[in-house]
Amino acid sequence: MQDFFELIVSGFASGCLYSLMGLSFLLVMRPTGVVNFAVGQYAMLGGFAAVAVMTTILIPPIALPYVPGLLVVLALMALLGAAVEWIAVKPLVDRGAPPVASMLSLLGVLIVLLEVGARFGGTEALPTEPPFGFRRVEFGPFAGTPQSLFTIAVTLVIFAAVWLFFERTLWGRAFEAVSLDRRAAQLMGVNLRLVTVSAFASSAVVAGLVGVLISGTTGAYYQVGMALTVQGFTALVVGGVGRVDGALLGGVLLGLLEALVMRYLPVSSSMTLAVPLVVLLAFLVLRPHGLLANRGGH
Amino acid sequence: MKSFLTLLAALLALCALGFLLGSYESDVYRKLLLWIALGLSFNFLFGISGQVAFSHFVFLGFGAYWVAISLVHWDLPLAVAIASGLLVAAVAAAMIAIPSTRLEGPYLALATLALGQLFLLGIASGRDLTGGDSGLGGYSLPPILGFTVKGPWYTACIVLMLGLTYVILDRLDRSSFGRACRAIRDNQTAAQAMGINAPRTKVIAFTITSVLASLAGIFYAFVDNLVAPGAFSLESMFILLFMVIVGGTGRQLGAIIGVVVLYMAPFFIEPLIGHYHFMAFGALVVILIIYKPNGLVSMFDPILKRRRMAALEKAQL
Amino acid sequence: MIAAPLLSVRGLTKRFGGLLAVDELDFDLSAGEVLAVIGPNGAGKSTTFGLVCGAIQRSAGEIILKGARLDGLPPHEVARRGVFRTFQHNMAFKGMSLVDNVLIGAHRRFKGSLFGVVAGFGADTERAERQRAIELARFVGLGDWLDADIATLSFGQGRLLEIARALAGEPKVLLLDEPGAGLTPSESVRLFAIIKEIAARGVAVLLIEHDMHFLMPLADRVVVLNFGRKIAEGTPAEIRADPEVVEAYLGNIAKDSTGAGAAHAAG
Repeated sequence: MQDFFELIVSGFASGCLYSLMGLSFLLVMRPTGVVNFAVGQYAMLGGFAAVAVMTTILIPPIALPYVPGLLVVLALMALLGAAVEWIAVKPLVDRGAPPVASMLSLLGVLIVLLEVGARFGGTEALPTEPPFGFRRVEFGPFAGTPQSLFTIAVTLVIFAAVWLFFERTLWGRAFEAVSLDRRAAQLMGVNLRLVTVSAFASSAVVAGLVGVLISGTTGAYYQVGMALTVQGFTALVVGGVGRVDGALLGGVLLGLLEALVMRYLPVSSSMTLAVPLVVLLAFLVLRPHGLLANRGGH
Repeated sequence: MKSFLTLLAALLALCALGFLLGSYESDVYRKLLLWIALGLSFNFLFGISGQVAFSHFVFLGFGAYWVAISLVHWDLPLAVAIASGLLVAAVAAAMIAIPSTRLEGPYLALATLALGQLFLLGIASGRDLTGGDSGLGGYSLPPILGFTVKGPWYTACIVLMLGLTYVILDRLDRSSFGRACRAIRDNQTAAQAMGINAPRTKVIAFTITSVLASLAGIFYAFVDNLVAPGAFSLESMFILLFMVIVGGTGRQLGAIIGVVVLYMAPFFIEPLIGHYHFMAFGALVVILIIYKPNGLVSMFDPILKRRRMAALEKAQL
Repeated sequence: MIAAPLLSVRGLTKRFGGLLAVDELDFDLSAGEVLAVIGPNGAGKSTTFGLVCGAIQRSAGEIILKGARLDGLPPHEVARRGVFRTFQHNMAFKGMSLVDNVLIGAHRRFKGSLFGVVAGFGADTERAERQRAIELARFVGLGDWLDADIATLSFGQGRLLEIARALAGEPKVLLLDEPGAGLTPSESVRLFAIIKEIAARGVAVLLIEHDMHFLMPLADRVVVLNFGRKIAEGTPAEIRADPEVVEAYLGNIAKDSTGAGAAHAAG
């Protein structure tokens, strides 16, 4: 039974990572309508950046402690996100091209980032030490690694902050207005450029954070990107596309399902890779508006 | 009639080239021809019908595996293996298309991407049936009507398949069906208001192009007499997409140019920049989408237009 | 107007959540007749068009074309039965030539199977329809633009292109959603003549238009909508004299002086 509760905690923690990936999609989708499949590569690069900045692997002279290291990585990710927007999206939006053109150009970016990551970090998984040690924390029937608990706490804080941002701040309202009607928002005095750049930058920051968190458990690996893209998008589709709370719910459910399948179903470990794929296809075909669709939404 | 003769001459030239090449060049050449066939059908699916689908390599792989498995495990005659493969591909494509073509842009893209990943997982865990990660081999093309087809003669078979693919897609493109596909791509609401059944048209386009991909897959199976999952990876799918974008989305000639340029590029640029061609392709796609959205083929447009005008003037005289 | 109506709308209703966009609307339309639908913004005019064309599903009511129910059919089936429309916003197919744009309207007349297409049949239909499309483009005044890039057409030319596209379908009923908006004076004069000509050929024309100066001499009858309800119906002269209409709509136009013919219409 204790084993089961530990499984729940670790499944919840990996589900949180999928929720964050979903959020990364959402931060760009809501105000711009663009679907950026390169977010998984942001996470991959975030992981390598964490290894580079916090350990003596990759860049030996630099080995910052966790918190300053994390801040440096996230700052780099913000710059990367803004640069991607400026190079691959802005010229298309200026020309009035449809969102699908941005999606395709971001697929080009995806490959560039993937290759850059593979050159920079190598094609072997880089093992890293968990930043909070190998201890085991118990609370009631539940137990988990400090890394799991840290991941869950960070995710909940971020989702609370994003929710407050959209619901309670003027800036969040500006994002909402842009998502509803770009022209009208501009006429109301919303700075479209600023909203778009911050959307892309914050999306990269959130995905980069996922990479940092993953590097603390399974290490940094150049091929995690596409899997995370699928898992994050699945989280969105399960919860209900366009909804912040949907991304959280969908990601956590997916993480728990993966953990349970891996533990209790007699399938090879490679087949757990199929879980998000099957869930994604099932939802797209049977319930394309997700679980939360009937409770208001758009 | 003139266009038919041009096509015939082009196909004969492609066959003739097959007889001039050595065995390594032959292998490269056959794969190039197969890529062109794939590029043409994917261009119809993505460029003309407007469906961003990542399932094209699934159908290529399906065709290749079906024919290989039919010969190795089921001992089927070649004709039966090919016919049943195309039939099953058509049914599978229609079954996939009916729910998935309802999905819009990015959703269709990710659904078909997931399908591709599942296909690869299925092959990898197919044990003896698919040969797993190392693939399925140990078969060869059975004699056709008593003749053993090999070497440049097999290349000629591929050229024939390519010609068939080209003619089918070209005629569809120039018909009211092709026009309906483009109309849906450009503005589905307006297309439906003009009497076009958008879901049906999309399903048909998906099915036809997927069956053509499976046909190419059947021919691919006998190029190396080995089918392995590596050939049907997501990376190949990205390269195919990039080929069509680089050449000129929505135009047959564009697809051909894109495939030839990106397929041949690594042979020329690898000595210069090493294994960076995939990264270069990604960057090239971003640059072209922004600065030359109609692709490399649009560079020839002024010439083509001048020729058309000249022909028009001649006709009026 | 003596003949039985071609298109009958009975009790047509559309609710969006709690909002009644169209409320128990009735009207008839005969072959060769021009019926204008007017009303302030948000009165439900475009929603009515969407309902008739099957783009929006009705909440209640019947739409009958020559005795057969039209409601519940998807938009392409409605078009196949001879009801074509133009749109309020520019809805040209941007990646296609002008003639191909027009040919899309003729889609329902291409009957051959795909196997026939691949076998090389259907070239004669294609040639004949292409010739007709060129004639239609000339009819609406786009004869000099056959080779032009769609993106270079002006807003008004885009409007005329949409009319040519809809005409290519040989409609029995043609719905024009604000065809005159954004046209230059000379284009506007041409549009007037085109609509007259279309009606004279026996097509039933349903028209949304704001410019009363343009509309009054064109329409045989006018239906006035306000908050989704029909508040008046009659000849242009009757409508102009109706105090409720002047109060709800025409008066406002005169005050805002939005249309060139506003003062004329209200006075």
